[in-house]
Amino acid sequence: MITTPDLIASLSANPAPVRRLRPPLLRACCWLALAGLVLVLLGVSHGLRPDFSKQLGDRAFVVGLVASLLTGVLAAVSAFMLSLPDRSRLYGLLPLPSLLIWMSTVGVGCLTNWVSVSPAGMQMGEAVSCFATLVLTSLPLSLALLVMLRYTARLRPVAAIWMGSVAVGALTASALSLFHDIDATIMILMWNVGAALLIIALGRIFGRRMLSWVAPQPLDRFT
Amino acid sequence: MGSGRQKGNSLLRVVGENQTGQRRNNASLNRDVEWSIFMARAQNGDGRAYNQLLTEITPYLRLLVGRHHRSPQDVEDTVQDILLTIHSVRQIYDPTRPFTPWLVAIGRRRIIDRLRQQGRSTARETPLNEDHETIADAETNLETRADGRSLREAVEKLPPGQREAITLLKLQEMSLKEAADRSGMSIAALKVATHRALKSLRAILGKGDIS
Repeated sequence: MITTPDLIASLSANPAPVRRLRPPLLRACCWLALAGLVLVLLGVSHGLRPDFSKQLGDRAFVVGLVASLLTGVLAAVSAFMLSLPDRSRLYGLLPLPSLLIWMSTVGVGCLTNWVSVSPAGMQMGEAVSCFATLVLTSLPLSLALLVMLRYTARLRPVAAIWMGSVAVGALTASALSLFHDIDATIMILMWNVGAALLIIALGRIFGRRMLSWVAPQPLDRFT
Repeated sequence: MGSGRQKGNSLLRVVGENQTGQRRNNASLNRDVEWSIFMARAQNGDGRAYNQLLTEITPYLRLLVGRHHRSPQDVEDTVQDILLTIHSVRQIYDPTRPFTPWLVAIGRRRIIDRLRQQGRSTARETPLNEDHETIADAETNLETRADGRSLREAVEKLPPGQREAITLLKLQEMSLKEAADRSGMSIAALKVATHRALKSLRAILGKGDIS
């Protein structure tokens, strides 16, 4: 066991200059810009859903879409705030109001359109395409967030992973409702909430391990 | 934030010699400013400032950790853990914000980590201490006493010559010569008697075990 004065001496022997992190809001904006880029690229390659202009007249759709986008933005801000040790834990509550609105629009849609599930359900091609959108949106965003939040691995990993997963999940759900005309309510529920929950669950299960891979290792120089 | 700190400094100069409470506040503010300057220098690669910072925060961390951990070994391990964490995340410190809350937040994480680790190990492991050894000893003693009684009873049942030989040689642990002097038997006779006594004791005790 190394003594504390020895440890201090070896840590401060030749400290490499480090680049300070940018403020958390700026970093959140950078990540959101990446998310915007991914959404735009997907929109260019896939095109908006065919009935997009018609859907814009539907208040529930607009409210749901705005709420899910807002949830993504606020959850991203909250994740970057929570990743720093001296910021309040209450930032975790930031995306809660918009999250509730988003969930309630999905829920109301379920109740009012319950009977409109078509007997044929969804076609296979659409489901695969949906899945592609899901992966194409969530994967780069998750990886980017993982790298950007690597310093929190030994500080507040759980809270940051939760918020990061909510951000990725909400933005992915927005992408799905922008690009795919899934009208059957069960499908909306499945894709919207299911995708978000799937991403949150994956983030929760693997996030910590992934984070510890990219995290800086303090003990490198002693081993 | 920078302007806030300047305000704090001027406040310090104005009310410097007033009441002790205020003085203490000012002292901690002053210390915080100093630490945050050291940390900013350390981020730029200044080893001496970094050394001074780590040396100065160590007693403070010991106090902080000492509120949650009793054993000095645990306190020292946690302090070192905190120092290593600070080293690995030193780029996330923003010099425009106060240093102490940042330090305490990181310290708390490591303290909680160690408490959790201890919780897990105490749920699984039982430390061996003197009490456990004493209990083990008491059991052993109890058994020895019971054995001793049955042995004494067995010795009582032996013929007189064998009984004398075994008492002198084995229970009182005399040498052959002493036993020969005491009992008036020859050494060879003592040897034979002891041999026979052991044989019959074995038989008696063995029978006792079976019954």
